[in-house]
Amino acid sequence: MSVSGIHDRILCDNLSKFYGEALGVNRINLTIPPGITSLVGPNGSGKTTLMNLMTGLIHPSRGEIRILGLRTDQPEDLFRLVGYCTQFDSFPKGLTGYQFVYSYLRLFGYDHVKSDRLAWRAIERVNLVEAARRKIAGYSKGMRQRIRLAQALCHDPRVLILDEPLNGLDPLVRAETIALFREYAAEGRHVIVSSHILHEVDMISDQVILLSNGYVVAEGQIHGVRSEIEEHPMQILIRCRQPGLLASRMFQQDHVVEVRIHGDGAGLLVKTRDADRFYRMLNHIAAEDIDIETVAPADDDVNSVYEYLIGEEGVR
Amino acid sequence: MTGLHWDQIRAVIRLEMRKTFFAKRGLWVYLLALAPLVLFLGHAVAMRFVNLSRSHLAARNEKPLSSTDFAAIQEGMSRDEVIARLGRAPISYEHTRHSRNERDEREEWQEQIDRYSDGQSDYRFTYRDGKLAAMDVHGGCDFGRDSIIFATTFQLFYLRLAVFFGCLGIFMNLFRGELLDKSLHFYFLAPIRREVLLAGKYLAGLIASVVIFTTSTALQLFVMGWHLDSNSVSNFLYHNHGVAHIAAYLGVTVLACVGYGSVFLAAGLLFRNPIFPAAVILIWESITPFLPALLKKFSVIYYLTSLCPLSIPVDSGAPSLFTMLVSNPDPIAAPAAVLGLVVLAVLILFLATRSVRHLEINYTTE
Repeated sequence: MSVSGIHDRILCDNLSKFYGEALGVNRINLTIPPGITSLVGPNGSGKTTLMNLMTGLIHPSRGEIRILGLRTDQPEDLFRLVGYCTQFDSFPKGLTGYQFVYSYLRLFGYDHVKSDRLAWRAIERVNLVEAARRKIAGYSKGMRQRIRLAQALCHDPRVLILDEPLNGLDPLVRAETIALFREYAAEGRHVIVSSHILHEVDMISDQVILLSNGYVVAEGQIHGVRSEIEEHPMQILIRCRQPGLLASRMFQQDHVVEVRIHGDGAGLLVKTRDADRFYRMLNHIAAEDIDIETVAPADDDVNSVYEYLIGEEGVR
Repeated sequence: MTGLHWDQIRAVIRLEMRKTFFAKRGLWVYLLALAPLVLFLGHAVAMRFVNLSRSHLAARNEKPLSSTDFAAIQEGMSRDEVIARLGRAPISYEHTRHSRNERDEREEWQEQIDRYSDGQSDYRFTYRDGKLAAMDVHGGCDFGRDSIIFATTFQLFYLRLAVFFGCLGIFMNLFRGELLDKSLHFYFLAPIRREVLLAGKYLAGLIASVVIFTTSTALQLFVMGWHLDSNSVSNFLYHNHGVAHIAAYLGVTVLACVGYGSVFLAAGLLFRNPIFPAAVILIWESITPFLPALLKKFSVIYYLTSLCPLSIPVDSGAPSLFTMLVSNPDPIAAPAAVLGLVVLAVLILFLATRSVRHLEINYTTE
């Protein structure tokens, strides 16, 4: 990888972390480009361990990790580029929301004026202005989550690492927060998000990293990952007026392994081992005689991918 | 150290101050610091009352009396002779005493008690059959005796227990307390070198401990002289090295905080349970007099006792533990003691920086 590439990527090289004899993560090799990257996996899969490794809160047992070219054991440089919203639901005692963010900024060495300005800007971004002067001890779970988010993004980091950032947020704030992530990603920054909620991950992620028992089981764009799972044929749902005719045409293709007419008689579910050939064939059919209303992948999402790769018990 | 580092240290100190001074669990540190002050204050208040009552008694003498007048009084003198020299006693009363003789017979006799005062001391003359049978003198306080009491309290209780455990409470909590509260990651997520963070926390702990314990030392010294007359105080201050002694006690208190602060900051990084390191260090500090010369240099109390202005006199019949704790067979010169203690603290803090560099946030194991 070129030097410029290193300085634009998060790199994990044969990264392992053991807690005594317990495995945290093992032999992780990743290259994470800018954009929204989701870490997906059940409890204990290694998501938080990987994030803590990325931020130097814990140190690798083996291997190396670089964040935009920086080592993670140099917090003085690392956290000028990185903001981390942890899952740790505890705060220095006695602080208000504003003091929490402001004090964090003072640790950067910023003066009062700059710290004050950046603190209020971050608090506004997470919609917590009215509660900012209240003690964090009196905050709801969602408010605590938002003030942590404000702390993570108050210094305008190039890499935003967020451990279950949408937990406890109401739908409106959740939508605003997702919009904020997208805004960050659109500016060419890294947003690393861990989540259990797969449909949310599917909705916001540019790429996903699937973790299970400390190992990366798949990574990349979700559609790319799905197409590589050959033992599970792709499922495609087609809505059309002549499903019977379409089904008979489908059966003539060797890559189509199953066709089921939908219960309402207005569509069919096709399973194919070669999605590319299937879509080319479908274009021909549509151009000839069958009126096709919609075509949509039925299992081209994180949920299905996760189920295929890890199994039912892994899906939350 | 750059300007940025100093700004960061100030930010850490600002955050830590609130916790260190106002933590509920730190209340006992104040109690430890105030314990000897309460002792000396109680003594001072009691002595103020005693002095006041002696002044009132002296004012009721038939004529002004000084200690020289009382020195002329001898046992065996008749009551009339005493009255001729001192005048009638302002307080005089009789009472009947009794005991059993060798044949187990009850015996009774009259005693005449006369009480005088010269304003400083209380004199109680007991007459039997018109002759002075006993002369009890209850003297006032003097700085010499009080200084020894202060030195003993300072070395045995204040340095070895109050400052020791106070620093344990303040400095061990700087990192260990935040690990237990699960809030240390707040600092570890900031762009601050771990060494700078450690320096900031140490200075915050040092400021707190120095303020608490030197204030207590200063107040103890103040109340020690509070009940004495101004002549005694100025005599002590300006003719008996009083100023130098006060400066030495305050300096030793500061150095105790420097030394024990570094020890317990490092212990807080290395040990989860404070009891074990506290016990080991307490024993180590207690056996310092018996350690070889080289090992003594790794003891904080060795330097501190060398800097204390007064050595505690030990009677031949004193308990061996007391003798062990107050003995300092080979004290070193003050400049060497200050330098040695500072070097020891820096060395310990250097080791602590290595530990904090490798410290991980893994709250589940705490």
